[in-house]
Amino acid sequence: MSEKISRRDFLKLATAGAATTAVLTGCGPSSRYIKREPYMEMPEYTYNGLSTYYATTCRECAAGCGLVVRTMQGRAIKVEGNAGNPVNLGKTCARGQATLQGLYNPDRVENPTNQGRGSTLVNDPMDWDAAVKIVSDALANTNASEIAFLLGTGSDHLFDLVSDLTGALGAPAPVRFGALSMFESRATLSKAAENLFGQAAMPFFDLANADVILSFGANFLETWLSPVAYTRGFAKMRRGNPKRRGYFIQFESRMSQTAAKADEWIPLQPGTEGLVALAIGRLVAEAKGGALPKAFASVDAADVASKSDVKLETLEHIAQLIVEAQSPLAIPGGAALGQSNGLFTAEAVLALNALTDNFGKPGGVFVSPLSPNQDEYHRPASAQEMADFIAKIKSSAIKVLFVHGVNPVFELPVSFGFADALGFVPQVISFATFPDETALASDYIFPDHHGLESWGYQRVVTGVSQSVLSGAQPVVVPFHNTRAAADVLIAAAQLASVNFEQALLSVSDEVGFIQSKLANLIGEADGSFVAPEINTFTAYFQQHGGWWKNPAEPSAAPSSASVLGKGLKVEAAEFAGEGEFYFLPFVSPTLGEAGANKPWLQELPDPTTTVMWNTWVEINPETAHELDVTNDDVVEIRSEAGVVRAAVYVYPAIHPHVIAMPFGQGHTAYGRYATARPAGDRFMALVPTSQDAAAGQVFPRGVNPTDILGLHFNEAGDLAFAGMKVTVKKTGEKQLLSRLESRIGVYNEGLGEH
Amino acid sequence: MVKKFFEWVISPMGRVAVLIGALALFSLAAYGISESQKSPPQPLEFRHDVHLTRGVQCLYCHPGALRGPSPGLPTITKCWGCHQQLEITKTSERLEPMLKAIEDGTNFVWIPVAQVPDFVHFTHRPHIAAGVNCEDCHGDVSKMEIYENPQVLNMGWCLNCHKNRTEDNAINNPKTDPQVSALLAEKRVKLIDCGTCHY
Repeated sequence: MSEKISRRDFLKLATAGAATTAVLTGCGPSSRYIKREPYMEMPEYTYNGLSTYYATTCRECAAGCGLVVRTMQGRAIKVEGNAGNPVNLGKTCARGQATLQGLYNPDRVENPTNQGRGSTLVNDPMDWDAAVKIVSDALANTNASEIAFLLGTGSDHLFDLVSDLTGALGAPAPVRFGALSMFESRATLSKAAENLFGQAAMPFFDLANADVILSFGANFLETWLSPVAYTRGFAKMRRGNPKRRGYFIQFESRMSQTAAKADEWIPLQPGTEGLVALAIGRLVAEAKGGALPKAFASVDAADVASKSDVKLETLEHIAQLIVEAQSPLAIPGGAALGQSNGLFTAEAVLALNALTDNFGKPGGVFVSPLSPNQDEYHRPASAQEMADFIAKIKSSAIKVLFVHGVNPVFELPVSFGFADALGFVPQVISFATFPDETALASDYIFPDHHGLESWGYQRVVTGVSQSVLSGAQPVVVPFHNTRAAADVLIAAAQLASVNFEQALLSVSDEVGFIQSKLANLIGEADGSFVAPEINTFTAYFQQHGGWWKNPAEPSAAPSSASVLGKGLKVEAAEFAGEGEFYFLPFVSPTLGEAGANKPWLQELPDPTTTVMWNTWVEINPETAHELDVTNDDVVEIRSEAGVVRAAVYVYPAIHPHVIAMPFGQGHTAYGRYATARPAGDRFMALVPTSQDAAAGQVFPRGVNPTDILGLHFNEAGDLAFAGMKVTVKKTGEKQLLSRLESRIGVYNEGLGEH
Repeated sequence: MVKKFFEWVISPMGRVAVLIGALALFSLAAYGISESQKSPPQPLEFRHDVHLTRGVQCLYCHPGALRGPSPGLPTITKCWGCHQQLEITKTSERLEPMLKAIEDGTNFVWIPVAQVPDFVHFTHRPHIAAGVNCEDCHGDVSKMEIYENPQVLNMGWCLNCHKNRTEDNAINNPKTDPQVSALLAEKRVKLIDCGTCHY
């Protein structure tokens, strides 16, 4: 035998050893044992490894988009649009996607709480029976006229319930409000429709079939009215017809996300939108020949051109486009209506549609149909009505105030004095899901479920040409010890022996109430489904995520001739304050009114500036040069109503006389993501970091531009939020804005270092 | 040093030592393999035969097999739903752990016996839909006190069945309707494609 082990033998031995080791370790029982733990109680319809999908309705704004939520083992995993719902046809916006972060938000109000108007959320859990007793006592022991309900624009079933309840009590009807409706100037749009069409309603603009669109300030790709529906319409206008690509012109003094998608963005002097519309109308009428309609007779295009900073050639070119177009469409909205002359602007722009005779025609303007179970259009309160409501509170005429689904301390400008007004109300009861500013200032918080845990329905006000009622159902079992506000109110009313109307007597809970309202739809013809009785109807309603009528021929369209025959009162916009700049607050396209507590939305770069997690002020480079400020310089913006400080974002796409600020940040409460970390946040340099931080004080993240809005209204009662003039002063401080885009090389920044 | 070691290995003593070492390794391996074939410890001595012979259907406790990848394990409330109705099972000593779990609201943690590796995407539903019975793969569970796999669930076994179910003379039989034949041929390609289970 050889004295040596050959290389081959060595390899064999080594392999055998390795294999043995592998077998020994790999085949051992412990390595192959995995563990499986079944449910204690299996959720209904759940199968292991399979998702369950529920159709419901988005509650992030009042548009009523249908959602389909994927759930896995009792947890909501992903939100997508409901392809069956005519409003959004399967699409959602970023805020809809982020609704999960509201559901799983670590800062939710988890128990009914004796808040006692503390500055932070008081951890003093109560029993729900005690909570119902408090509500019941408030209803029973207060003079009915001294009870007030303030509701948000969402949750229409709750609005109906409260309307029935206040009706039975003899209390004033509930007031509804939302910052979005304030910034959309809904009252103005509705009033203009009433003046021109003889019917107070939300107009619906059929973008999909138009070929030239003029938008006067309407941010329909961002937050305006029903952004998903209008975005879809816009996409169809651009790409839906292979033979033509729709043309889109946006008139706005700042380039918004919507304006950025336009073929032409026409920056103009704020407040001149109505004049521009009339001038274009006159040029169109002249080009078409025939008698000049009365509505457009009073303007002179050259005069308008000089007033509005829009060249006469541009106006003529746009007029020519309209003359050649088959179905041109003009949309009034946003900041154009938030002026002292907003109503005139809305009427002038709608009259432009009359000139091209597109009322009730494809690609034109419709009167939005009423929702299936709606008798008339209820618009949210205008700013003027809110001011009146607050005046009423301040006269000590309200003893109990219930607040649900709205955060007026944050959403209403400080100058309204809502926070002070709460001091005149002996008892404030909030049904807030999150510890927002208004909830903290309440005596009790009886938290409602999150939208994804809730029953309900939402009427679709605009965005589709058909009548739609979107249905909501819980997609998960409530995580916390919350209870539906509707259930609390029903239980409290029964305890207080309120004589509900006949229909409500048999209602024992929220679902029963919703069924009582759906029952009217069972016999209706032309619906998306039919059912013989209420239980089947409710099951289908949940399955489809709502009930809607099939698209019908548009009802009686307003007469173009009668609109054109009206002489429009030409008004110049009035601006409050002495400053040299026009102040333009706009709703943040990513945050909306209530998105600041969701990190996905905070982290989502603003579509035009790419700024995240903070508030900025947009200043034209020329203006910035004159003011000797550049990016990240903190400026002080002063109006007659107040002062705010924010970092500059030098923005070339803004009129030099205008500065703009997004609305959505500046919370002093509303959870950890909406407020700032006290110390060590390098993007929060405005926050004093030393002693205040030690005191555990909460600091706002960013600033709220409504802090410097004064009390000025237009004729329709909407806030003239774009009608302020401000001064801008350099402070010498710097605050680094977190932005996605590079700074290097822009305005010569950072070139020395690189 | 190494040379010295190899010299010792080929010496008579060394050969005996190597033999002993090899035997020790072999027996350890054999022990490991035999251990791996034993039923793992479960939280409760569950008798499949008792349940099946009393007429409980497989799908009553494992309804997921009909719908999805995993047949699922019954919840304790499901077990207790039946067991609480019989005095003998309600008070049985052997069911003590279950009673305790019900009272405490805790759960059983089972160790699954029939399983395939992670890189195999096995789903029960198409098998049931194709008319395969539970016992075709899991054996006659009504005769098993403690469930054990009747065969090793490896790829060769899977493929055999996939082939057998399509490898019929029908494909090549001239008497078969050509359309049926084409369908069977397509089905076979799908059934033996790697991507059917490994994706």
